[in-house]
Amino acid sequence: MQALIEKIGRSVGGVVGTLFQAGRDAVDLCLKTIIPFMAFVTFVIGLILETGVGDAIANGIKGFASSLGGLMIVCIICAIPVLSPLLGPGAVIAQIVGVLIGTEIGRGNIDVSMALPALFAINPQVGCDFVPVGLALGEAEPETVTVGVPAVLTSRMITGPISVVVGYLFALGL
Amino acid sequence: MDALVAGAEAFIQVFRTAADVFVGFTTGIIPIVVVFLTAVNALVKFIGEERVEGFAKWASQEGAIYMPVRYTLLPFVAVFMLTNPVCYTFGTFLPEKHKPAFYDSAVSFVHPITGIFPHANGGELFVWLGIAAGVEIVAPDMVTALAVRYLLAGLVVILIRGIVTDIIYNIMTSRRAGVE
Repeated sequence: MQALIEKIGRSVGGVVGTLFQAGRDAVDLCLKTIIPFMAFVTFVIGLILETGVGDAIANGIKGFASSLGGLMIVCIICAIPVLSPLLGPGAVIAQIVGVLIGTEIGRGNIDVSMALPALFAINPQVGCDFVPVGLALGEAEPETVTVGVPAVLTSRMITGPISVVVGYLFALGL
Repeated sequence: MDALVAGAEAFIQVFRTAADVFVGFTTGIIPIVVVFLTAVNALVKFIGEERVEGFAKWASQEGAIYMPVRYTLLPFVAVFMLTNPVCYTFGTFLPEKHKPAFYDSAVSFVHPITGIFPHANGGELFVWLGIAAGVEIVAPDMVTALAVRYLLAGLVVILIRGIVTDIIYNIMTSRRAGVE
């Protein structure tokens, strides 16, 4: 009997402990990563909405982000193997451009149907800065890394534009 | 004097608007992300590493038949369970020649997944949220549909990335072998 009670007590304790730790991790991530970035992003949005900067950016972005061809051009530029590792870190560039395009969608300057292709067009450089580290995490041999880095960067030149088209097709009928 | 006041007014207005947007994000995004993160973090711990690794070993086998599993399901499970950047450690289970393609596939999924499962890449939410915030204003009922489509389109894109990178990697290795 005592053993049973002990067993129940211990497993309940384990579940509660796990849940509590999960909550702690969640709040930790929010405080240390999500909210700081949110502060930065909202400041950028404030600037866009309240100053003339917004209209200048809007005109620039509108030309590219309101047609499939324009998004293609953005995507191809971001995927150039020399540029892509520079644009990659922390997805900061993709996030800022995402906010810029999102703000213009919100103001009605860019059609909602462009949202999905745009999500892919601004992001063909994802992880291009991280290839050696990512491969090392997967315990790849040094030789695999040597060939793997240019392979991934070259591949993005092809798959980047394809991803924009896939995004465009998936947005049909939305 | 009036100009000065007008200038100050315009200046402070930037921060007022920013603060309004901040409050909107805080009440709209943070609560759901915190609760969701907690639930998924716990789920991941309950399922346990061993079971996930067992699946990874099965999914990372060689051969064309396993390609759709290797470059859709495996990255999905890796990113969902281990989150960015630990998900790339799943590369360990793959044959050496498929590691670059798996990395390409997995890393390309860390944003499409955030529309529905924000826990997977909490630090880079604003690729999705930035655009979603705009859609929310114009067509609020479309945001969830867009998130689902972003996820599905992401799965198609990572499959294509995996296949293309595999081909390019093979060409590059055979060229290197030819030179040496």
